[in-house]
Amino acid sequence: MAKNFNEVLKEREIKEKELNKAEEKEMSLDSTERVKVLSPGQLVFKRFVTNKLSIVGTVILVFMFLFSFVMPLFYPYSQTQIFYKYDNSVIDYAQVKERTDYTLFMLDENADVHYTVKNKLTASINTMKSTGEKTMTLRDNDGVSYRLEEDEDFIYSLYKEESELFASASGEVKYATYSIVGDKLEISAGMEEVSGFSEALKKAIADKAKDFTVSGVEFKVEQVKKTYNVYKESEGFQYFSKKMDAAFEESVLALDKGGRLEIGNDIYSVSVNGDAVEVYKVSGSSKIAILSTYVFDTFDASFKITKDFEKAALQGIAEGKEFAVGDVKYTIKVDGETGEKLVLDINNADAPCAAISTSVIRRYNGEDTLEIAFKEETRKVIAEMAESGKKTATFTWPIAQVDSNGEYSYDESGNLIKEDREITITDKNGSYVLNAQQVVYLIDTFAAPSSEHWIGTDSDGMDVLSRMMYGGRVSLMVAFVVVILETILGIIMGGVAGFFGGWVDNIIMRMVDIFYCIPSMPILIIMGAMFDALKMKPYIRLTWMMAILGILGWAGVARLVRGQILSLREQEFMVAAEAIGLKSKRRIFKHLIPNVMPQLIVTATSGLGSVIITESTLSFLGLGVKHPLASWGTMINSVSTAEAMKAYTYIWVPVGLLICLTVIAFNFVGDGLRDAFDPKMKR
Amino acid sequence: MAKFIAKRLGLCVLIFFFVTFIIYILEYSLPTSYVEKTAMELATRPGNTKSAQQWIDELNAQYGMDQGIIKGYGIWFINSAKGNFGDSWSQTMPVTDLFKKCIWYSFVMGAIGFVLEIFIAIPLGVVAARKQYSITDYTVTVVSLIGISMPTFFVATVFKLIFSVKLGWFELVGMQGRNYANLDAMGQFLDLANHLVLPILTLTVVGIGGLMRYTRTNMLEVLNADYVRTARAKGLPEKKVVSHHAFRNTLIPLVTILGGSLPGLFSGALITETLFGIRGIGFYSYHAMTVGDIPFTMFYLAFISILTLLGNLISDILYAVVDPRVRVN
Repeated sequence: MAKNFNEVLKEREIKEKELNKAEEKEMSLDSTERVKVLSPGQLVFKRFVTNKLSIVGTVILVFMFLFSFVMPLFYPYSQTQIFYKYDNSVIDYAQVKERTDYTLFMLDENADVHYTVKNKLTASINTMKSTGEKTMTLRDNDGVSYRLEEDEDFIYSLYKEESELFASASGEVKYATYSIVGDKLEISAGMEEVSGFSEALKKAIADKAKDFTVSGVEFKVEQVKKTYNVYKESEGFQYFSKKMDAAFEESVLALDKGGRLEIGNDIYSVSVNGDAVEVYKVSGSSKIAILSTYVFDTFDASFKITKDFEKAALQGIAEGKEFAVGDVKYTIKVDGETGEKLVLDINNADAPCAAISTSVIRRYNGEDTLEIAFKEETRKVIAEMAESGKKTATFTWPIAQVDSNGEYSYDESGNLIKEDREITITDKNGSYVLNAQQVVYLIDTFAAPSSEHWIGTDSDGMDVLSRMMYGGRVSLMVAFVVVILETILGIIMGGVAGFFGGWVDNIIMRMVDIFYCIPSMPILIIMGAMFDALKMKPYIRLTWMMAILGILGWAGVARLVRGQILSLREQEFMVAAEAIGLKSKRRIFKHLIPNVMPQLIVTATSGLGSVIITESTLSFLGLGVKHPLASWGTMINSVSTAEAMKAYTYIWVPVGLLICLTVIAFNFVGDGLRDAFDPKMKR
Repeated sequence: MAKFIAKRLGLCVLIFFFVTFIIYILEYSLPTSYVEKTAMELATRPGNTKSAQQWIDELNAQYGMDQGIIKGYGIWFINSAKGNFGDSWSQTMPVTDLFKKCIWYSFVMGAIGFVLEIFIAIPLGVVAARKQYSITDYTVTVVSLIGISMPTFFVATVFKLIFSVKLGWFELVGMQGRNYANLDAMGQFLDLANHLVLPILTLTVVGIGGLMRYTRTNMLEVLNADYVRTARAKGLPEKKVVSHHAFRNTLIPLVTILGGSLPGLFSGALITETLFGIRGIGFYSYHAMTVGDIPFTMFYLAFISILTLLGNLISDILYAVVDPRVRVN
């Protein structure tokens, strides 16, 4: 059978196909496979990434996001962490005061010392010291007499005496007063009038005589203006119990300042008060108290000095013998080298337990926390100073470090951390002030950049780099929240206006006009001042600020959306959407909004930058984000005074550059997006 | 045209009314204000017999704050329509006097800055557009973007650091030197001028970027237009194409926007004046806003609103006037 034509052709075709198998399949000219097809999104992306500036912007933004949101996760410091440092500062460490007030230790608990005597004890002892007397008699208002006796330097005993008035004598006594005016003569109370006195006085006045005698009694006249005082010679000693001879009177009068008189076994105490002399006979006395200016410094802080110990020790010193407090026996030893008195514990192999001196060495706050070795060293240096007549001296001593709360720092084993410091002693008229360079624990403000703080610390001792990161968070967050808020508001208002038109459009557009016209910066400043007055919490304040920024910013978006929708509404696809009966909700959200999106994204991206500028300006003025929240604007504000600006450029310049970089990056990306979405607009 | 302007003016008055009303409500409902602060001060004075609340009531009555929002606003609106804006509370002088005292500093600063901006930004924008994608273009684009992106306070601080602290050419803040009173008229003028240099520089740097960008964009649009291609095709020299055909058409949007920003010269620079201590309207209004000086704040905000509305109006009218293709309505 002959093959028909068709079959022949088919066979040939198969053969040809087999022949061409190895060869590339040829494409027709209009085959869609010849063109690489990109979706609209891919096209936009391709155009975006070929733009150099938008790539730069994207890289900066990615860095900013990593810096603000990721880096804080790995960064060791938080935004509000305050750093401290050790520093030297000169402090008033201690003071030395010579003790001059005598302390009274009552030996007889039942005895009572009258307060008038108590008050003048120190003064009396000083008088005794200056006159070199060993004893002194004091008398209180009730006539009870006391006797002070020096036992040793700085130790005095107080005796209460039993005594009675033995004799008294007086010098001149005022006898009478005569006044020329009115010719008045007054005889002093208790004086017997001598007969013929008045005539004799008048005669004496007429003669201008200084003295006169009337019936054997001598009188002296003294003129005071127009009155005359008449004095009568003393009548000599008056004895109350037993009359003594002239020798006794002489020896009494010899004690012109008072004092004691021992005649045989009798002890008389003489007190002189002006011309009047009183002699008391002392019948017996008892020691009731001991007085001293001695200060006891313990060698061991656990050894407490009690009142009883002091009493016993003072008596021991005075008597120069051992003494006991409870069961413990002590002895006093005088250090050969320094001449210092030490109290030794006999039970404890004569170990020294306290040192005795007359100067008080205390910390400046009055606490007795200084160790004995320090005190001894201080006393030694002061003694040297006194010898050489110098007003200042220094010595080195380890003193404890103090932390921020004024507490001592301890090492791992619980010991105080000490460091050798130079201590300066200054003589301030008898009292001495000890200054020391002490290591103190301070807030580390304005630390220079170091390996610990790369950009240093700020005025609150917080790490600047850390605050830069958290400040970036605040700025970016504010920017995004505000832009999203104003975009949503703008889409709704603009969409409604554009879609429905008519009176709705009219009202909304007038609102847009109004909001366009409201000056936003002044409003924000007013609101910031108001938040200040209300003392709002930083986070609440931040929220409010974002809300206000969003509300003030929606008008632009609304205008843009409305314009776009007005032009899109007339296009064929919208007519078609309406023609096939789509609901208006679907037409708006499925067909209109996606077509407005490119424009919106571009505006929003540039809007992000301007919101960051507004926020940082407000914060810079102190009316935006508040401490302790970090913000770039606030950080620059904290160093904006002339001195700080010059000294801390390493703080505010990087922060300012961060703001600029972020805003520039948003603008770059915004420009890039605009060109990518709408290549016709590319310039 | 007249009908258009009249219609726009009517709309402006309406918008102005609402804007000032909103601002008045805001000012009125501030929880603390100058009145309260003054009352506290008065109440703590020696010999004072009234309580702080009594003082507040009295002062509110004195300042007309007890009228209620609507009535108070009505009184304010009528009074300000008559040109009576009351007395500034913090400066204790009539608002209008204070305005006359400070406005010219702001205007001089704004005007000089404006002229500088025009003479720097427009040529640079034109050059950038002519040499699109060249290094010049990229430089101008980047510099203008940086200008837009820098916050005023940062620019001011940088200038202060460089010119005042490091170089010592100008003073940090204020308007008068130490021996201002001893200078003759010329010396005083030069002293004032010296103090105004940095603020003006700041204003220029901050404002220059936007104008530069705007010029470049519009110039590019014109250069890509058909009539420029025609001009080139018929063999005109490039110079003539640019200066006669392209630049003149670029001027249309430029004149519109510049004319629109003319009223803004009076609005003062809030941040710049405050930072440099220039006693202009921005400085006083910032102070008034922070202490709650309602009369001056109200006046300032109303003034700014009028300037904004006026700017928009001028720019719309200019658009129609400059470009014959645009028909009103």
